[in-house]
This record gives sequence, C-alpha cells and structure tokens, in this order.
Amino acid sequence: MSLSPYVPIVGLFALAAAFALFSVAAAPLTGPRRYNRAKLDAYECGIEPTPQAAGGGKFPVKFYLTAMLFIVFDIEIIFLYPWAVSFNALGLFGFVEMVLFIGTVFVAYAYVWRRGGLDWD
Amino acid sequence: MTFKLPAIDYLALAPMLVLFGAACAGVLVDALVPREWRYHVQVPLSLVALLASGGFVVALANRKEHVVTAGSAVVIDGPGLFLQGSIVVLGIVALFLVAERRLEPGGAFVAQAAVVAGSEADRKQMRKPGVTEVYPMMLFALAGMMLFCSANDLLTMFVALEVFSLPLYLLCALARRRRLLSQEAAVKYFLLGAFASAFFLYGVAMIYGYAGKVDFRGINEAVLGSSNSKTLLLIGLAMLAIGLLFKVAAVPFHVWTPDVYQGAPTPITAFMAACTKVAAFGGLLRVLYVAFERSSWDFRPTLGVIAAATMIVGAVLAVTQTDIKRLLAYSSVANAGYLLTGTLSMNRDGLKYTMFYLVAYGFTVLAAFAIVMLVRDSDGEATHLARWAGLGRRSPVFASLFTFLMLAFAGIPLTSGFTAKFGVFAAAVGGNMTWLVIIGVLSSMILAFPYLRVVVLMWLSVPGDDTPTVSVPGAFTAAALFVGVAMTLVLGVAPNQALELVNDAGAFLR
Amino acid sequence: MDPSYYIVLSAALFTIGAVGVLIRRNAIVVFMCIELMLNAANLALITFSRMNGSLDGQIMAFFVMVVAAAEVVIGLAIIMSIFRTRRSASVDDANLLKY
Repeated sequence: MSLSPYVPIVGLFALAAAFALFSVAAAPLTGPRRYNRAKLDAYECGIEPTPQAAGGGKFPVKFYLTAMLFIVFDIEIIFLYPWAVSFNALGLFGFVEMVLFIGTVFVAYAYVWRRGGLDWD
Repeated sequence: MTFKLPAIDYLALAPMLVLFGAACAGVLVDALVPREWRYHVQVPLSLVALLASGGFVVALANRKEHVVTAGSAVVIDGPGLFLQGSIVVLGIVALFLVAERRLEPGGAFVAQAAVVAGSEADRKQMRKPGVTEVYPMMLFALAGMMLFCSANDLLTMFVALEVFSLPLYLLCALARRRRLLSQEAAVKYFLLGAFASAFFLYGVAMIYGYAGKVDFRGINEAVLGSSNSKTLLLIGLAMLAIGLLFKVAAVPFHVWTPDVYQGAPTPITAFMAACTKVAAFGGLLRVLYVAFERSSWDFRPTLGVIAAATMIVGAVLAVTQTDIKRLLAYSSVANAGYLLTGTLSMNRDGLKYTMFYLVAYGFTVLAAFAIVMLVRDSDGEATHLARWAGLGRRSPVFASLFTFLMLAFAGIPLTSGFTAKFGVFAAAVGGNMTWLVIIGVLSSMILAFPYLRVVVLMWLSVPGDDTPTVSVPGAFTAAALFVGVAMTLVLGVAPNQALELVNDAGAFLR
Repeated sequence: MDPSYYIVLSAALFTIGAVGVLIRRNAIVVFMCIELMLNAANLALITFSRMNGSLDGQIMAFFVMVVAAAEVVIGLAIIMSIFRTRRSASVDDANLLKY
C-alpha cells in the first residue's frame, strides 16, 4: 500500500492549520488601529445602543417570532420554483406531490395560526 | 424534455410514512383540540402510529423482498428492517416514560416553554400539565431515525440526520424543573450538533466531488475505479466520520454527552440513549459496510484508535462521577466504544452482534433511566449519588432491579450485557482487531467499578433523613421498567431467538 | 475560468467558519459561523456539479438550504429562550453544567 494519497492530506491539514493560525494572529497585527467613539460602538450606524433594551429590559419577542416564521415559510418556495419550471414534464404525479408538500406546510401554518403566533399584540 | 419519474414502493416506505403522517396529525391536534383534551388524544395517537409502523416492519420482514425504492434514495433490506424494528420497539418504551404523569403533577415537561424561567409566571405554571408537542416531535424524531438507518444515499442521510436531530434539540430544552440547566443543555447540544452536521455535509460534498454520485453503490464502484484524486475520498470520509461519530458520542466528539444527558428531561435522556444510539450506529454501519468497504484499510486504524480512546476515556471518567445521570452518560460513551469495536470487525459477525448489542443496551438503559425517574424528593429527581446511599433499605425491590441493571451494564453472565459484549469482542477477534478487544476487556474492568460503587452505596449504607423516597410508578413507567428489565434478562438467559433474528437479517443490500 | 478556484474558496470559507465556531464567544456569532460552513459546503457541491457535469449537486444545494433554514429557526428559538432568562448570549456564561 502506498502512502502517497495521504501526503496531500497532511499538507492540507498543515495548510488549514497555518491558515487559521495566520488569520487569527495577523488580524490584530496588521489591522489599522484608529479607534474613535463611532468605531467602538456596537454598530457603526443606526440608533445608540443602550445597556438595557427599551421598556425596562422586556424583550419584544414578536419581531423575532415574525422573522422566524418568515424564514420557514419563505424557504419553501425553493421547491416550488423548479417544480413550476418543469410543470408540464412532471405532469399529474408532480402536481399531487406538490399538493402533499404544500399540505404539510399548511399543517404548520394551522398550528402557528391557532396558537396565536400571528397575533401582533 | 421528459422525466423518468421514480418508482415508489409505498409498502416499503409505509413504516416511515405512517409515523410522519401521525406526527403531522399530532401537530394539527395541538392546533385544534382544546388544551385539556390534548394529552388524551396525543398519547393514543402516538401509540397507535408506532404499533402500526411496527406492524408494517414485521409485514415487510415476512415479505423477504429487499428493494431499493424512491429513486434509489431508500433501501429496505434485512439489517435496515431490523434496525427500524428496534427503533420502533425502543421508541414505544421511551414513549411510556415520556407519557408518565403520575410521578409529578403534569409530567416531566414544562407547561409553556416560552415563559421566562424563574419568573412569576413560571412559578404559576409549575403545576399545570406539560406541553403536548413532545409527542409529535418524538414521532418526527423516530421517523427520521428510521429513515437514517435505511437511507441509500448521503443526501437522504443528511436530511434524515437533521429530521431526527432538530426535534431532539428542542425536546432537551423542555424540562419542568431546573429549566436553566435544561435550556443550557439544549444550547450546547444544538451548537455542537450543528457544527458536526456541517462537517458531515462538507464530507458529502467531497465524496460527491470524488465519485460524482452520492448513492452508496455509486461510491462503492467509484472507490474501485475512479480516476479522481484519492485525497478527496479520504478527506470526505474523515469528515463524514466526524459527523457520525458525534452522534454516537465517540471520543473526542463526546463532550456534549454528559451535559446533555444531565440537563435534558430524564425521559428524553432515556430516549436519546436508546434510540439515537441505534440510529447513529445504523447509519455508521451502512456507510462503512456498503459505501466504503473497499477503503477499510484506510479507516480501520484511525477508527480503531478512536474506539480504543472512547472505551478508555468513557470508563475512566465514569469512575469520577457523582451524579447518576452523568455516570450513565459516560457509561454510554464507553458503550459506544464497544459498539465501534464490533462495527470495525467488518465481517458478518460484526454486523450481527453490533445490532444485537444496540437492542440489548437500549432496553437496559431505558429501564435504568426509568428507575432514575422514580428516585425523587420534594425538589424533583434526586440524581446526586450521595443521595442514593441506603436506598436498598428504603425500597429493596427497586434497589434490586437497579442492581440487576448495573450488573447487566457491567457485563455479568446471565444478563444481556454479557451476551452482547461477548459477541462484539468475538467478532472483533475474528476481524483481526485483537488489540482492540484487549483494550475493551481492560476498559470493561475499569467500568465495572462505578457500577458496583452504586450498588454498594445502595445496599451497605444506612439511609439518612434526606434519603429520597422511591415513588410508586404509574402504569406507564411500570410498563417501561418491566419491559426493560425483562428484555435484559431474556436476552441474557435465552438470546437464541434474538440472535436468529439478527442472523436472518443477513447483510446490507448494495 | 478554472472551477477549481471555487473549491479553494469554499475550503477557505469552511475553515473561517470552523475557526469562528471555536474562538467566538457569542452564541449567535457561533451560529452564523456554522451557517457559513454549510454555505461553504453548498459552494463545493455546486462547483463539483459543474466539474462532474451532473445536476445532482445543485439539487443537493436546494435541500441543504431548506435544512439550514429549519436549523436557523430551531437554533434561534433555543438561544432566545436562554437569553431571555440570562440576558446574555455568551457561551462562556452557560456554565451550570459541569462535573
């Protein structure tokens, strides 16, 4: 058995380790250090960050919940698009499968709706 | 443009389709049924679905016709059906533990996970019935595990891996008591699990680059005749192995195990210890035996070292534990090492006895966690080992059962632990891995010490004032405990029937 | 252009993601690094798909994207629930569980 296929792997590991170490070590050394107030802010734009979230530290969950629901339902379209493009070729079988798929998405939708996930207040 | 539509053998997929369908129905139940009725609908629904799924597995096993279906994404063969059947049976027993509501008002799960832990609202919901979403999530996880064991390509395997992992991450976070520990366990499990599955996925990409295909037969052919650089294959295999070894909790990918086992609600810990182990090893067996059998010279030494490290580290760290759930977690790590030893023998016996070991270990660990659920005081489960001192005098029956289970873990003859360990070690000797067997025997001797320490602690100490009581189990826990202990005994005293079953399962279909 | 450059890019992205997971302390940032690793794998799949002349890799990328979205939602839900109790998303603060 020859060891030749392992040589590039060892090389690759060395390279990967070197790359990782180099980037971690080089970043603080090479980066320009021109600190000012704006730079030290958590975000360099937008509103002033406060130590505590507005409203006495109460976290408004509704924004994040809406964003989360959007991600889940939005991503389903990824399967609809290729199906729509080749709708004619896929025929009835493809249609039934897609109805089933959308049916499962609808189950999730019914759950979110009934359990109040869509209520803003 | 015309498509050749994939032929689908619906009967072959029925065990999984039933579970996925019931899980979707369970989500609808949670959406539409009034709160007080949900538990009474969900539990029978899950139970019927699991029984139906098991019935289909038996029907398929009797059909004795092994098929590759759904456009070669799923393969239904002997070992796959055996593993699916084991997952269903262990899943039913785990469902009994999850459905238990007698031990604690409302069950082991929190009433509303969205309520901030430790707040006023949290104290108010302390006695309310627990969430019923756990049942559909369990069904999704079980169906994903079954798909994981019978996937025929790496993409299906990746999707199945996520389908069974994502519900488990959530289930870990739903404990009724010690909610912060539970949430912390879920965060750790999730971040490390997602990290491992990213490695798995990059491995899939590398294998795809090497073989141009991701189905196991295609990979197997490519290993023989591809002109592509073998480096891609080896990197891909290593990364796939990282993803799978994380799920089986092999050293050095085991760090999550004790934390998650301790923090998760105990029924879920039992579920993970039994069913996830079966699924993860089912997937590992199929990948190694079907897709990469021809590269076994490349991976056996490395995985052998990992198996040895897993056995030693698991056993040594189990000795130092003071919490019963963490002790069982490290014991599960060490057991992953014994299972890897069986897997790496790469022969018929290795496959056979690894599958037998999975089932034997699953029943024993479910029964052990059922007893952990019973030992409680006013503050919930008393898991610290010091609290277990003198339990033998408080409740001789349960202490005797636990002693029996500990002896089974230690591999004493006439328990399933002995048959299983003997089997995998014999297979490994047959597969020229004798050095691994020597380490395995040494590690078993170390591992016997913590088990016996618990036994000595229970019987030879005098119970103090704060020794917890052993609750009278409800019907569900009693059933789970009975099945677990009975199977541990039967598989130890008369293992022939089960061994015939794994023997009849034959080899993987390529 | 030689498609193998994209493999190198994908490997670099994967390494950045993996290093990020290991050295960053904020659970959300750790999680973003994991997403970077998944997307590096997607890039590799699509490049290999082009090099091998088969469409399978592109289809796989679709599935990975959906799985990644599901993972985002689960992960955010768990991190958010612990954040609301502790007011901190640092993984170093999650230290109740140890032996």
